[in-house]
Amino acid sequence: METLRNRPAETAVKMRNRAWRLPSRRQLAGLFFVLPAVTFTLLFFIIPLLMTIWMSLHDWPLIGTPSFIGSGNYDTLAADRQFWTSLGFTIRYTLLVTPPIFILAFVLALLVNLPLRGVGLFRTAYFIPVVIGLGASSLLWVWLLNDRVGPFNTILRQLNLLQGSLVWLGSFDTALFAIIVSVVWKTVGFTMVLLLTGMQAIPQEIYQAAMVDGASYLGRLRHITLPLLRPTIALALVLSVIGSFLAFDQFYIMTRGGPRNQTITVVYWIFNNSFTYFKMGYGAALSLVLMGFLVILSMLQLRLLHREISY
Amino acid sequence: MTAHSLFLGRSLTWRRLVSRLLLYLVFISLAVIFLFPITWSVITSVKPPAEAAAIPPTGLPSRITWDNYLKLNEFGAGAGRYLFNSISVSVMTVVGTIILSTLAGYGFSRFSFPAKGALFLMILATLMIPFQSILTPLFLILTRLKLQNTLPGLALVYITFQLPFGVFVMRNSFDTVPRELEEAALLDGCSSVSLLYRVMLPIVLPGIITAGIYAFLNAWNEFLAALIFMNQQSMFTFPILLNSVNTGLYGAVDWGALQAGVTISILPSILMFLVLQRYYIQGLTGGSVKA
Amino acid sequence: MKRLSRHARIIAVLAILLATLALSLPSSAQEPVTIAFWSRDSAAALVQSLADAWNATHDNQIEVTLIPAAEYITKLGTAIAAGEPPDLLAIDLIYVPQFAAAGQLTEISELAAGLPFFDTLSPSHIRLATYEDGLYALPFNAEASVLLYNKDLFRQAGLDPEQPPTNWQEIYDAAVAISALGEDIDGFYFSGACAGCNAFTFLPLIWASGGDVLNEDATEATLTDPMVKAALEFYRQMWTEGLMPETALVDAGAEFLSAFFSGKIGMMGSGAFSISTLKNEHPEIDFGITFLPGKEGGVSSFAGGDSIGIPAGSKYPEEAFEFIEWVLSDEVQLEMFARTASLPVRTDLAENKYFEEDPRLITNAQAMALGRTPYSLVYNQLFNDSNGPWLAMIQQAVFDGQIDEAIANAQQQFTEIMAQVQD
Repeated sequence: METLRNRPAETAVKMRNRAWRLPSRRQLAGLFFVLPAVTFTLLFFIIPLLMTIWMSLHDWPLIGTPSFIGSGNYDTLAADRQFWTSLGFTIRYTLLVTPPIFILAFVLALLVNLPLRGVGLFRTAYFIPVVIGLGASSLLWVWLLNDRVGPFNTILRQLNLLQGSLVWLGSFDTALFAIIVSVVWKTVGFTMVLLLTGMQAIPQEIYQAAMVDGASYLGRLRHITLPLLRPTIALALVLSVIGSFLAFDQFYIMTRGGPRNQTITVVYWIFNNSFTYFKMGYGAALSLVLMGFLVILSMLQLRLLHREISY
Repeated sequence: MTAHSLFLGRSLTWRRLVSRLLLYLVFISLAVIFLFPITWSVITSVKPPAEAAAIPPTGLPSRITWDNYLKLNEFGAGAGRYLFNSISVSVMTVVGTIILSTLAGYGFSRFSFPAKGALFLMILATLMIPFQSILTPLFLILTRLKLQNTLPGLALVYITFQLPFGVFVMRNSFDTVPRELEEAALLDGCSSVSLLYRVMLPIVLPGIITAGIYAFLNAWNEFLAALIFMNQQSMFTFPILLNSVNTGLYGAVDWGALQAGVTISILPSILMFLVLQRYYIQGLTGGSVKA
Repeated sequence: MKRLSRHARIIAVLAILLATLALSLPSSAQEPVTIAFWSRDSAAALVQSLADAWNATHDNQIEVTLIPAAEYITKLGTAIAAGEPPDLLAIDLIYVPQFAAAGQLTEISELAAGLPFFDTLSPSHIRLATYEDGLYALPFNAEASVLLYNKDLFRQAGLDPEQPPTNWQEIYDAAVAISALGEDIDGFYFSGACAGCNAFTFLPLIWASGGDVLNEDATEATLTDPMVKAALEFYRQMWTEGLMPETALVDAGAEFLSAFFSGKIGMMGSGAFSISTLKNEHPEIDFGITFLPGKEGGVSSFAGGDSIGIPAGSKYPEEAFEFIEWVLSDEVQLEMFARTASLPVRTDLAENKYFEEDPRLITNAQAMALGRTPYSLVYNQLFNDSNGPWLAMIQQAVFDGQIDEAIANAQQQFTEIMAQVQD
């Protein structure tokens, strides 16, 4: 994690010093090693990205002839109610899904970090949903939640938590709740492992010193674990927020954007415009705005969390 | 284990025994919650079709049958074909991701060269765009390269989108390799390439496995690009079959077949993870965990 | 497995029939080609059996690719954008105007006019396949919406299973009687989160009552038609009185038919596909088929199905047309369509020996003949989009009870979307 912070600065300094020189043999070797990855990224990310920018300046029907309209798509975007509603919903979803993931992941990481027999087995159990694809997991949950053939309602009825039947995906609140539960179930293991590795990297001596001073378990948690875990949390948070912002599959499969179009995320709206309404140019403009938003958001998060690192 | 001192060392009193039991109870109930959905899906997949679609759902199967799995095979080019394609494209993606990430991770960790920071950020930026929005440009590029409708073409795209994670993990892995080791080898006259191959690879193996696992999971589960880039059903991958089962032929979703499909799509990932998980956790930390 | 062996028999019969035919014709010296044929997966059984039969008897081969129905238009659109269309495609008839207008389908007016049975082809398909006086596709398969009802439940509820409802009041009364049979039995069902299903089964209720949602030449939305409101109120009443299962709320089409399989649904709108599926997979259910009625009587139907056309970029347009011609021939229409309870797409074959054995199929064929289909270049955005105004209106009206707002919203959005193609 430490490297994430230091490297760019270090590189910048070197670049300033060496910009006017020809690259040395060793520098060429370095370039040679990163070349394949850079080529792939250029070919399958940067070029498509440039094409997307080009498309965004056109009225570009998927199956017709494009015509240049300059900033037309961006003007449409500003007045597109559904886009802003979708952005609002996506932010709301991100704000709602992130805390449970992090709180649960933190508790799980603390639990599986305990020196108990068989703890590795439990760690594996909590992680297993991570390996399932989001598509398969969404299909799985549609079935689990189905009010007639799915097992959840039956179980809830037997536990006397439910009477009659509940159509989970039928109203906004229960649908959003169900999706959040399914996403937490599927992703919490990943964050747990990230936090766990961070915890295990904290030197034991610090804890021992604190215990000598008579610090309680909670005190050690608050004054040692949490602050030292901050870089790991930053990484996990950035990954998790990006993932939530790009959420699509779970809504496409579980709610189809419903009920009453209340769960259309930004990516869902991009997908609809590009591939259902065949407005590729407008879809491209939406994508670029979303990408800009994500870049800024990620930089803000990293900066905020870095400044507070005091050790 | 590092935190032994916190819990052991003192004699086991009754109070500690009770709290230990409670703790295990928490552990076990959490495990049940986490594993229930998958387990129930697997159990349902071997129920007779009528039981799998029963309203309300039945408990354990009255007998075990493979009918639901056989039904998957009746569809399109047959489940075997879709599975074969999925395996091929996943293997290619894993191999490609490992090679590219290892090379790039080594380069970014151990060398300085012009525009290094910018190139690293460029690779990471791949994470920031919704994949759906560059789907059409990607398709155009693959067509230009005559790679549309080929599994290697699909794998190339998958590899690119695995690079941010792969390169990041591998750079961290290489960062943890002691400099002295490298310098000693260089003094012995090792070239950069043989240094990487002979000295570093064994040390960064956990990172490689981590990057590989992720590449596999993504290639194995991806749906949309596989559907768009492939033009023949003989080239389709398993997630496309799974999606068709869920759509339900003529509006009649086959719940048993759906669970069979979900099971097939989940089990290989779980098995692979169980086999490799020892390296995986290490790989994420960049090898810094003292086990 | 039973299904396969039946297909095998049909193929064998056809093989002999067509082999003799082929032998009597002069053979062409051309190299055989492989024609890529795309279809949505919901038509899998028919498409596969047709391709197998053709391939067994012809040098040119048909290679079928089945695409998940929900992503069919996405897949087709991107393939066309990348210059990689198939050689031949089956496509929901309502999309033909959009693809023809974009210049993505080959005009086949002259070839089609040469077909001896051209005048007998399904009129709805031909109307939708016509764009600015040119013809761009021919009928492939037909689906007409009808009212499907469970005769056993009718009997149990003291209703006459041979006297199905002929107006909304009778549907309502029957639904009340059937729902009273038990807590888990419901009188009526519709897929409340499925846009396409409700164009198919809900529009005809409006049409049969003399109303419509688009004007004559489909340039204006007419959702303010009183019959639209009446139809929404009709569903709303059945929903609030619990005559439908709650699961209707979220069914995006996956249970469009399987809901009926449970034997606990009294009536629902459906299509011809339900007949063969029910007969094959649920012989225990005694079901009837009748027309979708209007408020005070009258009948209508949505004449749907797929058209078959040749993309502008097809590598083998002539060979592809030979397949189309074959599909529409008497033998295939009778032995491969009618025999498997699929509607023939030729009106002169609507009455045939296979259908005479099952009057329910005759009803369906008649529904096809009297059926209607909206013609719009933005059909997808208006009706088929899960997030579009059509479904939004039905949901807001039926489930939330805000009927007037729902209609006003939909009218406004229909108008906005239709304005995009006017200029």
